[in-house]
Amino acid sequence: MDRLIELIPLSYTDSVVLIGAVILGVAAGVLGAFAVLRQRSLVGDALSHAALPGVCVAFIATGAKDAVTLAVGAAVVGVIAAGLILVIERTGRIRPDAAIGVVLTGFFSLGIVMLTFLGNFNNSSQAGLDTYLFGQAAGLLVSDLTVMGLLCAASLGLVAVAFRPLKVALFDLSFAGSVGLPVRLLELAMTAMLVIAIVIGVRTVGAILMVAMLIVPTVTARQLTSRLSTLLVVAGIAGAVVGSAGSLISTGAGIPTGPVIVLVGFVVAMSAILLAPGRGVVWKAHRVTSERRRALNEGVLIDLETALQSGPPPTVGQLASLSGRPPAGLRRALRNLDRAGVLRRDGDRIALSATGTAAVQTLLDRRELWSAWLENGWRIELPDAGEPDPRDLRASLGDDLTDELLAFSRGGPGE
Amino acid sequence: MSDDLTIILTAGLLGTACGLLGPFLVLRRQVLLSDAVAHAVLPGIVLVYILFGSRASLPVILGAGLFAVICVIGIEQIRATGLVKADAATGLVFPTLFALGVIGVTTFASGVHLDLDSTIYGDIAFTPFRTWELFGTEMARSLPLLAAVTVGNMAMLVLLWKELKASTFDPVFSKVNGISPELVSRILLIAVAVTAVTAFESVGAILVVTMLIVPAATAHLLTVRLLPLVAVSVIVGWISAVGGYGSAVALDASIAGAMGLVATICFSLAFLLSPRYGIITRAVRHQRKISPVLSPGLQPVSRAGDASGSEDVSG
Repeated sequence: MDRLIELIPLSYTDSVVLIGAVILGVAAGVLGAFAVLRQRSLVGDALSHAALPGVCVAFIATGAKDAVTLAVGAAVVGVIAAGLILVIERTGRIRPDAAIGVVLTGFFSLGIVMLTFLGNFNNSSQAGLDTYLFGQAAGLLVSDLTVMGLLCAASLGLVAVAFRPLKVALFDLSFAGSVGLPVRLLELAMTAMLVIAIVIGVRTVGAILMVAMLIVPTVTARQLTSRLSTLLVVAGIAGAVVGSAGSLISTGAGIPTGPVIVLVGFVVAMSAILLAPGRGVVWKAHRVTSERRRALNEGVLIDLETALQSGPPPTVGQLASLSGRPPAGLRRALRNLDRAGVLRRDGDRIALSATGTAAVQTLLDRRELWSAWLENGWRIELPDAGEPDPRDLRASLGDDLTDELLAFSRGGPGE
Repeated sequence: MSDDLTIILTAGLLGTACGLLGPFLVLRRQVLLSDAVAHAVLPGIVLVYILFGSRASLPVILGAGLFAVICVIGIEQIRATGLVKADAATGLVFPTLFALGVIGVTTFASGVHLDLDSTIYGDIAFTPFRTWELFGTEMARSLPLLAAVTVGNMAMLVLLWKELKASTFDPVFSKVNGISPELVSRILLIAVAVTAVTAFESVGAILVVTMLIVPAATAHLLTVRLLPLVAVSVIVGWISAVGGYGSAVALDASIAGAMGLVATICFSLAFLLSPRYGIITRAVRHQRKISPVLSPGLQPVSRAGDASGSEDVSG
């Protein structure tokens, strides 16, 4: 560990904080995923508050204040709290959120009572137990790092070994039970991993900010991938990046590490939510507007074709009254169509150019194919169960099936 | 007014104000929103302190209220993208706001009386010393503040009882009948935020969160109908206030913590012994139901009963 610290071109304490933040990020990222994906993110909130009575009990029992003793105390009480949440929500009347809330406030109240009670006897020796709540990255020691690193490695190893059963239990608990997996044990393992992540992190960022550390990496990774194995790796990396960036910024600017890490994490998660390719808010909004524009353009083109079939080329006003579209939208569509070069202007009258005629023809073909699919689609045998893409049936059905479909509909109503 | 009485009355009023709202949070599965709001208001308090150098009640309540609303709207917006589930959205927003508050405290307000302990642990013990001159008598300012909030919550419940009931139990039905569930939900959340923020300022966050969650969850185990649910929730709040103060004095420990502990003990008792939903009572009932089948001595009795029943029908 010392050699690793020397490798980093920072002051000794800053390097310790940096390594601690990275270990925390990886552990919280990978282990937190098992809570977030089960929609139990806030169990972490309850468990990190339960760390307070945990460290108090450890302190009362041993009188020691070293990292390992307190961590063991926090972990034991954390597992008890987690078990209580499971028991309370399993009885059915109390829903998971209320179970989490009751355990959170109950254990935290217990912690406060213990803390103040301890304070009555010896005012100085219990001091520092409450840093568990708000975290104190600067107080990290090299021995803490070793403990954190070992715990992190052990729990990641557990995830790797038990990946398959964990995955099944994560997504379909009743299926896991039906194929004979030890469901209770797996549920407990997932919660225990959460406890480990919290014990690793709570000293560095504090109980309340720990909640965000458990959630941020998984939310980020979930926007980028849909596979659990990839998600765990991406979440681990995201956690490490958030942790290291946060600790570097905080040591640079001289502000507390925990809050900065959480703020960096929030920014990262929000950028993923907004910008993730194929899924993000901005991406989706862009797709919706371009789809809308395409639908509008095609609709106006068809309207124009209908008008041309029934009479002389219409003016904009005539087209508007004929199609019944709002004039603003119509003008926008005509501008788009002009730019695409499908219109021919004849004074204030509008007709189709050569490309326009071709475009209308493909459009009409596509519409005919679509109504053929709606009417006779059930007659053709698809190679797989997937529905074809409604925007381009020919491409997704293939030429043979398309011709078959058209033959059905052109041959009149079937027998 | 004696200090003991002031503290008990403050906590009791808090229990009433929270007990009126808590049941709806429990029924709507939004319990943890109260925890989120209680943490998210920290930057509001810090901001008011930085801007005006004040810890007076009204500006602090306004600043905190602003951030409570930001928190609720932020969670709702993130959830509405459909990319993040409600619980994860909550867990993203409130620690971030809390982190902003912590940074504000440590950078701008260090060394003044705005330490995290007193805002988070709450100092209900100090309520008798923060006084206002009202109607010629000096009284703890927490009392009129909390009384106002309690009256407000009570008025909301009386005026919107039907709407709250319909939108909580059957949002689709309420929408069909012209009651917007979204609007009712927003009003309820604003009431929760106002209650949390006002109480937060006088008794501390953790006690507010406890009083919003635990009495309502306890009452949920003991009752079936909505009105008794609210009533029992308020009663449990008062039991926690009185019992908590007594035990805190006896143990010489944190008052807020002891009140929370008493509330949790009430919940545990209800969880084990509730006549309808308690796990021990259910186990006993289950045992009674299966024991005639298991013990052969009782079997003829039930068979005889069956036989006589069928005879009646045929005869």
